[in-house]
Amino acid sequence: MKTRKMFFRMITASLMRRRSRMIVALLAIAIGATILSGLITIYNDVPRQMGAQFRNYGANMILTPTEESFTKADFDEALSRIPDADLVGATPYRYETVRIHEQPIMAAGTDMESAKKTSPYWLVEGEWPASGSIMVGAGVAESLELKIGDTETVTYTIERGDGSEPEERTLDLTISGTLSTGGSEENYVYVPMEDLEQLTGTADRIDLAELSVSQTADQLNSSMEAINDGPEKVTASLVKRVTASETTVLTKLQALVLLVTIVVLALTMIYVATTMTAVVTERRKEIGLRKAIGASDLSIVREFMGEGMLLGGIGGLLGSFVGFAFAQFVSRNVFSSSISFRPLLVPVTILVSIAITAIACLIPIRSATSVDPALVLKGE
Amino acid sequence: MFIRMIGGTLFRQWKKMLMIAFTIALGASLATAMLSVVLDVGDKVNQELKTYGANITVVPKQASVLNDLYDVEGGGSAGAYLKEEELGKIKTIFWAFNIVDYAPFINANATLDDGSDVTVVGSWFNHHMSLPTGEELDAGITSLRSWWEIKDGHWLDEQNGEDGNACMVGSALAETRQLAQGDTIHVKGSAADADFTVVGVFEAGGEEDNQIFTSLDAAQALDDLDGCIDSIEVSALTTPDNELAVKAAKDPKSLTISQYETWYCTAYVSSICFQIQEVITYSVASPVRQVADSEGAILEKTQLLMLLITLLSLIGAALGICNLVTASVMERSSEIGLMKAIGAYNGSVTGLVITEIMITAVFGGIAGFAAGFGFAQIIGRSVFGSAITMRPMVIPIVAVLVAIVTLIGCIPAIRMLLRLEPAEVLHGR
Amino acid sequence: MSLLELKHIYKIYGDLHALDNVNLKVEKGEWLAIMGPSGSGKSTMMNIIGCMDKPSKGEVILDGVDIAKENAKSLTTIRRDKIGLIFQQFHLVNYLTAIENVMLAQYYHSIPDEKEALEALDRVGLKDRARHLPSQLSGGEQQRVCVARALINHPEIILADEPTGNLDDKNEEIVVELFRKLHEDGTTLIVVTHDPEVAEVAQRMVVLRSGKISRETVNEHFTGHIRFDN
Repeated sequence: MKTRKMFFRMITASLMRRRSRMIVALLAIAIGATILSGLITIYNDVPRQMGAQFRNYGANMILTPTEESFTKADFDEALSRIPDADLVGATPYRYETVRIHEQPIMAAGTDMESAKKTSPYWLVEGEWPASGSIMVGAGVAESLELKIGDTETVTYTIERGDGSEPEERTLDLTISGTLSTGGSEENYVYVPMEDLEQLTGTADRIDLAELSVSQTADQLNSSMEAINDGPEKVTASLVKRVTASETTVLTKLQALVLLVTIVVLALTMIYVATTMTAVVTERRKEIGLRKAIGASDLSIVREFMGEGMLLGGIGGLLGSFVGFAFAQFVSRNVFSSSISFRPLLVPVTILVSIAITAIACLIPIRSATSVDPALVLKGE
Repeated sequence: MFIRMIGGTLFRQWKKMLMIAFTIALGASLATAMLSVVLDVGDKVNQELKTYGANITVVPKQASVLNDLYDVEGGGSAGAYLKEEELGKIKTIFWAFNIVDYAPFINANATLDDGSDVTVVGSWFNHHMSLPTGEELDAGITSLRSWWEIKDGHWLDEQNGEDGNACMVGSALAETRQLAQGDTIHVKGSAADADFTVVGVFEAGGEEDNQIFTSLDAAQALDDLDGCIDSIEVSALTTPDNELAVKAAKDPKSLTISQYETWYCTAYVSSICFQIQEVITYSVASPVRQVADSEGAILEKTQLLMLLITLLSLIGAALGICNLVTASVMERSSEIGLMKAIGAYNGSVTGLVITEIMITAVFGGIAGFAAGFGFAQIIGRSVFGSAITMRPMVIPIVAVLVAIVTLIGCIPAIRMLLRLEPAEVLHGR
Repeated sequence: MSLLELKHIYKIYGDLHALDNVNLKVEKGEWLAIMGPSGSGKSTMMNIIGCMDKPSKGEVILDGVDIAKENAKSLTTIRRDKIGLIFQQFHLVNYLTAIENVMLAQYYHSIPDEKEALEALDRVGLKDRARHLPSQLSGGEQQRVCVARALINHPEIILADEPTGNLDDKNEEIVVELFRKLHEDGTTLIVVTHDPEVAEVAQRMVVLRSGKISRETVNEHFTGHIRFDN
């Protein structure tokens, strides 16, 4: 018992009273541990964070009706097959041909709030339309000379197949904004779903739905199958262009961060080892003295390793928190989202720090104990 | 004598000096590797993002507004076309080097033998171009539609004699018509008939699955539209937009001359569009927001992420070097106490220590630079399959960093050395 | 039987005969001084007696055991159990207090006992400085801590290598006085020195020259008290 007490008394004395040297060693270990825990946290989080960035490309899954169209109930049913957390956005679209200035134009009725999520790249000049207003594609706006703020009459013709007079219905809508995408969307007009339903007089029809799902390629495929196997009258298909490319690029990005992490970690660990080696090498004389007054090699190894490992533990603990803070800082600044703390990383960081310190100390301690105590005490 | 003393330290205390050099080399290699990667990561990721396809579309001026509307009506095309002969000019614009790929498209409405309508699209597949600049480029949809899945056969290979009447058909069409590689399909255009040989069946996951893709000439011949193209898709390496680019995109004339020059000479998607419009007559080039915007976002995030990791590594490297230099100079306190005892001035002791450390730092730095360059190449090769371009600016950055950090590392040690009382040191305290 | 007996000891480094056929007997309780100029082989002999080095040839019988035949590990054990070392440069662990330095020897030997360590410090007159770090002690005080450390485990032999080399006259006197007390208590003392004043206090003195014992004198007027010439 007393022996152990003396052991700790010596170690703490060494740590407390050789402060400047110990700070050198502790700093080295803490830097190493910070980089270790910081980079691993980032590496763990990159797929999720980057995956979210790739949702900028918009929908990666399309729902089309098995028959002519599907209903809101079908839509909700299909969505229930995808975990809520993975679903970035789901936008139903209903397409009808309407006339503005007697020009036939494709009008899309949709839920604007969802559209913002599934098509984040849409550039809207002015405002997104609320009820009673309309958003026109840039192409339509130019060819029909429509301006933001104008109120236009939108006409819809109901053709009954029974040969009776077509019924014309109209609705006055204010142009809230114009849409530029660089694609065919510029030639459509967008109105809130309820306005299109009011105009056409029919409700609960969805022609197509765009889904933006934050999942890996495999998960996406199984989500797609789950929907297709379900009873609702929709067919899910993946937007190949988005999904295939995402997998390619995301894999590369992950590999990049992994490799960078490995290189930085390897160099840092070598540095920690070098510093610890230097710190221990400095104490050859003390090792010689301890041997001279009767310490066995084993007890010297035990004491110095104990000291080193204690330092490793403190440094690791310190580093794991600073590293998390760094990762959090990176996440906030780069991805504007926060990282959840992984408690498991703390013991891992501490253990790795201890292991590296132990290995780094062992070499110089071994070489110092093999030296004749007389030589160490006399010379140098 | 000064030089002799330094030589003495460097050669006789080479073990300790090696340790310092090694630490400096580690730090320098870390800095070099990370800086090289971070400076090149934009270009590399940009290249990767090209798998998303074109980020600029070029259409004739009138068609840009009306084309789709007439389609809705079910009528023919508006009759405005781009000129095939001008295609080469795209590789002559200011940012020609950033144009990595492009392909023209012509749509011909044709009918099959059973009378059903089909769209025949003429394009480039792997069109080979030898540019006046000496650059060789294979452009076309083989690379611009990298996400197409080939179900049967292979990509149409223009360079391998598969021109003229070879075609690729979409999977939906192939399924309904029972088409496979080697089959012949007869289509009737408004001006001529043609027999196409199927070389491949693709699945695109879009409307292309119902179309036939063939060479530009063959599609043009169907509707007697020689030399005409409907649109061009361009894939360009671009810089993420900033405020200036947004302003310029709305109206380049609203810029001041110097702003205009900055904008024109930066690879913003809007300035590249502008330059394309300058060389292709009656054209409107517009960014495909889905691709251009997302590219910008991902690029920016990746660069920022790498930058912050680099920053962490640099801070780590700097602290590391500082730390060990301090420790190793302090270790020599007895030697320096002796020097002071035999009459060395503080200035000469300081000079000696700094010179020694700096000479060591030079060697360590050079070794580290070489190693770091190697690490950067390993990262580049294994992640992107291509070498990381070495930016010359990395050299001064690393050099200055190592010099400053080493000097800072010396400061606490030197302050301590100057306070040393020679007698105290020699009597072992 | 003698406590320590060196029989035909040689220590050869290349061509240099650091020790050349040395024979020496030390009886229990004896106070022996070993003198000689630099390079005479004093330190080599001290290292061999202190179990920190082995002779090239010959026998070193300590308490009936030939230590020349033991391996490094058992040499450590023998040194720990039988020998207390005092050095010219004091060699205290600079981050341990006086009492902790003494306890360090106990720790390697058996069980640290703070009370016993304090008693040892009291014997060398440093009880009130037990909690000081070596850097807060004067040279003489540091050497007295070393003496306390050397005697804490009740060794068979206290082996002092130039114990007064770094001390002024006053402290030298204090240390020699400590040796006298130890001698009175029956401790065997071997003091390696080139200071004749310190050597002459001993009961017997051997002089080494070029690795050989050139002279051996017995102090007829042994009192254990230092005599200054002036």
